[in-house]
Amino acid sequence: MSARVAALALACILVARPLAAQGPRFVDVEADLSRARFRSAVPGGGEALSGLVLGVRARTSFRAVSLEASYAQGRLSAGEGSGPSRSVVDGSLFVSTLPVPWLTLKAGPQLRAYVAPGGTERWVMWEFRARAETPIASPALSLRAHVEVWAALVSSVNADPGAAGARGGQAGMVMGLPRSPLWLRLSYAVDQVKMKDNARTEALEAVVLTIGLGGR
Amino acid sequence: MRPTAALLGLLALAASWGRPALAQTPAEQLARGVRSYQNLDFDNAAATLRAALARTGPAALSDTEQARGLVYLGATELYRGRRDSAAAAFGRLLFRDPRYRVDQLLFPPEVTGLFQQVRITTRAAAVVATPLTQLRRAGDHLVVWVYTASSQPVNVAVLRANGVPLRSLYQGEVADSLQISWDGRAADGSLADSGRYLLRVDSRGDDGRVVRSVGLRLDVMQVRRDTLPLPLPLADSLLSPEFRPGSSGRRGLMTGLAAATAVVVLPSVLASKAGGMSERFVVALALGTAGLYGFQVQRRPQPIPENIAANQALRLAWQRQADSVSAENAARRRNIGLTIRAGVWRPVAGQ
Repeated sequence: MSARVAALALACILVARPLAAQGPRFVDVEADLSRARFRSAVPGGGEALSGLVLGVRARTSFRAVSLEASYAQGRLSAGEGSGPSRSVVDGSLFVSTLPVPWLTLKAGPQLRAYVAPGGTERWVMWEFRARAETPIASPALSLRAHVEVWAALVSSVNADPGAAGARGGQAGMVMGLPRSPLWLRLSYAVDQVKMKDNARTEALEAVVLTIGLGGR
Repeated sequence: MRPTAALLGLLALAASWGRPALAQTPAEQLARGVRSYQNLDFDNAAATLRAALARTGPAALSDTEQARGLVYLGATELYRGRRDSAAAAFGRLLFRDPRYRVDQLLFPPEVTGLFQQVRITTRAAAVVATPLTQLRRAGDHLVVWVYTASSQPVNVAVLRANGVPLRSLYQGEVADSLQISWDGRAADGSLADSGRYLLRVDSRGDDGRVVRSVGLRLDVMQVRRDTLPLPLPLADSLLSPEFRPGSSGRRGLMTGLAAATAVVVLPSVLASKAGGMSERFVVALALGTAGLYGFQVQRRPQPIPENIAANQALRLAWQRQADSVSAENAARRRNIGLTIRAGVWRPVAGQ
């Protein structure tokens, strides 16, 4: 894996749906609240932290191509505010397209930082994501289910011995109210990053409740 | 045999001699009377003219011929020294036609002078209206002309068939003629009902009393315009189906269950070290419930929004058209028209 592979994936998406001569169609925004749990496993031990994470996301679309940016921040602790704790900060920027109506392909960087008193661990992951979304019921009460999986084409971390890879996924449902631009999403997301030589594995999972305006 | 044959011949001659006189038409009698007047045979002229004017029924003189006969009769009586009879003939003439004037080229000044004297003192009036008038909208009216022989005060009113006044149209002096109008309404502003009415002109004397009345029959009929038919209800063939049959619902159910399964197995598949937080089962349960809901909903007939919108537009257009027709019909019901047929004026009272 290298930066060139990630750049190639991103270019493929951009070529598939050229941005040129296409004006922005709409912008939608969303805010989410997550109940998150972090687990770190090292040979012979590990730690588990949990907490709430707040996030925002904005997306603008150029016909079938979208640009999506997100930011989330929260504090994870061992339990009831005592013991070790970390702040987690996560940001991403994705370009996405819909080759078919039910499938979204995304590519872009995701940055995540765990801020601890002993130092900050920063991950940079160039990811490729595939998301399938299909209706469960419509049109009176629009219900859609989605499943998303992703893998990091390139990943790096500022800790030895370096990143070995990352992958994750998400599944949930979106409920749109009739004749309203508001929608709700309930989902479960999980990802896992590995360091080289199996030195450490970190997993972050969350149940996310999102409220959005516009789009879906 | 000869004397007998001669007698019979004389009788036949006498019979054939008298027949033309008895068989003369009033017009011929009038012409003969005029010739007698011109030949200064006033006695014969008076007798002949009176005989012509006395004829009634289908053989009677026309209005024009009667006027001619009366003016010659008046002139004849004047030259016979019967001034009162002459004045009576001229008065009779003016009652028949208040606008009549003696031709000064045909009659000498003493005749025209007497006629003028009679005319000035005669309270005679006539009334004429358009034979057929249709009052369809505000502003339409029946036009009536009142003619008088001389300047005189008159009252003009419309009366019901039973003589009850419906509306007074004019009260005042008329020098020669007057044009008035009637909008078909009673004094209180209501529209006249269908029926027979009398337009009466009362000529008043110097003392204010009615000395003569003439009337004009008016047949009034209320006319309601036909209302327009409402547009036909939209035929089913014009409307698109608004629902499609429901599906089996399995797709919604399977989608929900598949997503719920994904929530449950994601940690095992993608993040073996995550362990899987128990809260994710809430998400899985919600997805499973949504799948069951979808199963139920998708089995019902599914609305077709674009067809519903198109049908709504058609119904709206139909409703607009129906409202327009209803408004037009309401206006037509409010605006009742009148058709007025006017007869020929006749003396009602007085001389």
